[in-house]
Amino acid sequence: MKRLIAIVEDEAAIRDNYAAAFMREGYAVRCYANRAQAMAACNARLPDLAVIDISLEDEPEGGFELCRQLRALSAELPIIFLTARDSELDAVSGLRLGADDFLTKDLSLAHLTARVNALFRRVDALRRPDVASDIVHRGPLTLDAERMQAQWDGKVVLLSLTEFWIVHALARHPGHVRTRQQLMDAANVVLDDNTITSHVKRIRRKFQGSDAKFDCLQTVYGMGYRWVE
Amino acid sequence: MSLRLKLLALGLATLGLPWAGCRYAREMEAALREGEQTSLQAVAQTIAASLQGRTDLLYREALRPAESTQDAPAPQASGADGARSAPEWTAPGPYDLRPLALSSAPLIDGYPDDWPREPAAWRYFSHDAQHHFGILSGVFERMLYVLLEVHDERALFDAPGSNWLDPATFGDRVWIGYEDNHGEQQQLFLAATGPGALSARRIEAGDFGEQRVIIEPRVRAAWQGMSGGYRVEIRVPLSMLGERFGVLVDDRDARGGAPVSYGTLRSEDLRTLGRLIVAAPELTSYLAQFMQPGLKLAIRAPDGQMLARADALAQARMLTAGTPLLARLYRRFIDRPGAPSLIEARAPIYARDSRAQIAALEVTQTPDRWLRLRDRALTRMLNFTLGTSVVAVLLMFAFAAWLALRLARLRRASESALTRTGLVTAFPDTTARDELGDVARSFSTLLGRLNAYTDYLRTLAGKLAHEIRTPLTIVRSSLENLEAEPVDEAARTYLARARQGSERLNAILIAMGAASRVEEAIGSAERVDFDLVALLDSAVAAYRTAFPSRAFAMELPAGPIMLHGAPDLIVQLLDKLIDNAVDFSPGGATITVRLRLELVGAFIEVDNPGPPLPVHLQGRLFESLWQSRPDRDSRPHFGLGLYIVRLIAEFHGGEATAVSLAGESGVRVSVRLPR
Repeated sequence: MKRLIAIVEDEAAIRDNYAAAFMREGYAVRCYANRAQAMAACNARLPDLAVIDISLEDEPEGGFELCRQLRALSAELPIIFLTARDSELDAVSGLRLGADDFLTKDLSLAHLTARVNALFRRVDALRRPDVASDIVHRGPLTLDAERMQAQWDGKVVLLSLTEFWIVHALARHPGHVRTRQQLMDAANVVLDDNTITSHVKRIRRKFQGSDAKFDCLQTVYGMGYRWVE
Repeated sequence: MSLRLKLLALGLATLGLPWAGCRYAREMEAALREGEQTSLQAVAQTIAASLQGRTDLLYREALRPAESTQDAPAPQASGADGARSAPEWTAPGPYDLRPLALSSAPLIDGYPDDWPREPAAWRYFSHDAQHHFGILSGVFERMLYVLLEVHDERALFDAPGSNWLDPATFGDRVWIGYEDNHGEQQQLFLAATGPGALSARRIEAGDFGEQRVIIEPRVRAAWQGMSGGYRVEIRVPLSMLGERFGVLVDDRDARGGAPVSYGTLRSEDLRTLGRLIVAAPELTSYLAQFMQPGLKLAIRAPDGQMLARADALAQARMLTAGTPLLARLYRRFIDRPGAPSLIEARAPIYARDSRAQIAALEVTQTPDRWLRLRDRALTRMLNFTLGTSVVAVLLMFAFAAWLALRLARLRRASESALTRTGLVTAFPDTTARDELGDVARSFSTLLGRLNAYTDYLRTLAGKLAHEIRTPLTIVRSSLENLEAEPVDEAARTYLARARQGSERLNAILIAMGAASRVEEAIGSAERVDFDLVALLDSAVAAYRTAFPSRAFAMELPAGPIMLHGAPDLIVQLLDKLIDNAVDFSPGGATITVRLRLELVGAFIEVDNPGPPLPVHLQGRLFESLWQSRPDRDSRPHFGLGLYIVRLIAEFHGGEATAVSLAGESGVRVSVRLPR
């Protein structure tokens, strides 16, 4: 059975293009133009993944509300924000509402589908209980590339997909400086420096939530970042 | 010339007020003087009238010629001109003595120093070329003073200790002859045995016909030699004297020799030849009752000879010594040099029948009285006008200062409004109801509009980026979908081009949103303590690899420089500075990154060789949407780089400046970061 992706987007052309791309990858796609339609359909049948725009027709913040409602329906449903907005605040609020990733529409379709695939992989990995493959241990840090899950001292640190890929790229080769461009490539995103900086800042804060003394993610000014054990 | 100075000059124009006051004071002075003159004339006439016909007072003795006028009334009564030759008053005869009215008593010492220097008052009598003497006489109070200067080649004293009556001992002698109050002729002789004081002596016949010499104690005299003769000074109380008075000099060439006698006594019997024409002593006291400080009264005989005077001019001067400093100061400004300082009035004194003039009264007044009046008025007026001027000047100055202050505030507000990112809409003085308020209001309105416009411009990039993103996404996703479709090779070429174009569009969009993202980053930036030296060191190392076509020189201080701020933002700032330096420098050039520590903070300076700053850009270089890139390159530019530098510098409490390097060889951008 094909996995079902729900696209909630008020711009018909974009919506249809995304739908075409996902269908080409072999997914079933349902498209909705506004929150009411989307909620009605999801209440009837929960999709396997949701791609949501923030502003929906006459609701400028409708995507956030929809995300909240979907998260209420299911804790596991992967949700991706895909929006023309690129403000830090929107990203923070979207991720806080439980979205798995926050992407801007600069992203290419290839990158988008890669992400969707990754998210489905993670869902699958989470469903299979003890498959221990492709696991990176770096001191207290454990990265499960399959589940796309990070643990610090055994405690799960909730990272968005982009954040996980950044940490993964850094921690795989501790001590090596990764430039912003390298991090962007690893995370399958096109971002500007400030967005990378705020991602790194968010990652640090999340780890510091587990361990106040967290200091492994270092800035190398002018170059990039590196993981220090 | 500032507004303040202009208004100050205008205020100084009110100093014309005191000037006009001075003019007025001068006119007033003239008027006062005229009035004073008139009143002085009236005083003179009053005194003269009170003296009308008082020949007894004017002259010690009733003038014989005056009596004769009664016998033969003068046909002429034409006026005072003929007073000198008026028949009522005969001109003195050759032997008459006209004593001066002295202002002080001469000391009886034989020296002439304390006599007034009036050559005209001297009378000279001579016997021949070798024998002559001069006589000067004067009256002070109730004394007659006589000064004799006798020309004598051989002054001869009496033999000392001799008998005054022994002719053999006789030296030069001076005889005084006078008519006493009873009309009797009296004689005294002065015989000196040496210089100095000597006594007057009189020869009396004793009971038995013998002659005795008695000292006349009321008369004082002194004898002093002089070149070519001797001087004798004599004092005789007027009470002794009657109408006539004379002096005879006995000049002997040898002691006991025959004398050469000459003078105003008849040498045969020593009878007086001339009269003593002198005012009554009471006249002076009579005049004294009219005296006031600053006044001088003088009565002159018709021939001009002074009969009596009362002088209190000096007293007035004493009074003026106490005038306040301010008045004296004012007077210095007002008094014209050479202005007559005394006023005078004359009035003839007539005989009882009002026809003949018997004397003239002369009243002189010092200016002190009217000057005092004028000074008082002047001082008050000048105080008023000067005070008014000063107040006016101060008020104008204060007003000007206030205006200037408001203008300066307005200027500052408009200047800062134009340079700050967000224009200030709160403009000073907009509530004022005057023209400045109007200016401020229109400025405020204008700036408000400008603000809206600038705001619009500032957000335009972000808005555009946002608006363009959606259609661009449509284009890009469509193109990507199309790539997945089976298309022929020719179409694929165009597809690739379309992809490239859309990628570039995307890059442009990202660049356009850069400023707003930096603003956002600044808003959420956290400050930490970091070492600026280490940061620069590491960043410049990165630039070396990023820009292999440029050399980077570093000038960093030895020790660490700790700063409290956002290192990420500082790196971004550096990125923009280096970006800029690379863009504007030729390939292979050396870009210098310098860190200097000064009192006001740390200075990051980036020097790049290349074209100097265009003059028209000076000061606006760090504003949003300004750029001066002479050449076009593939990367999109919106003039946001240095604007971002400024935003970050300002976030750290510093500022960014750019100057052309010496010799126009390049540009130095420097950023101050306070510690």
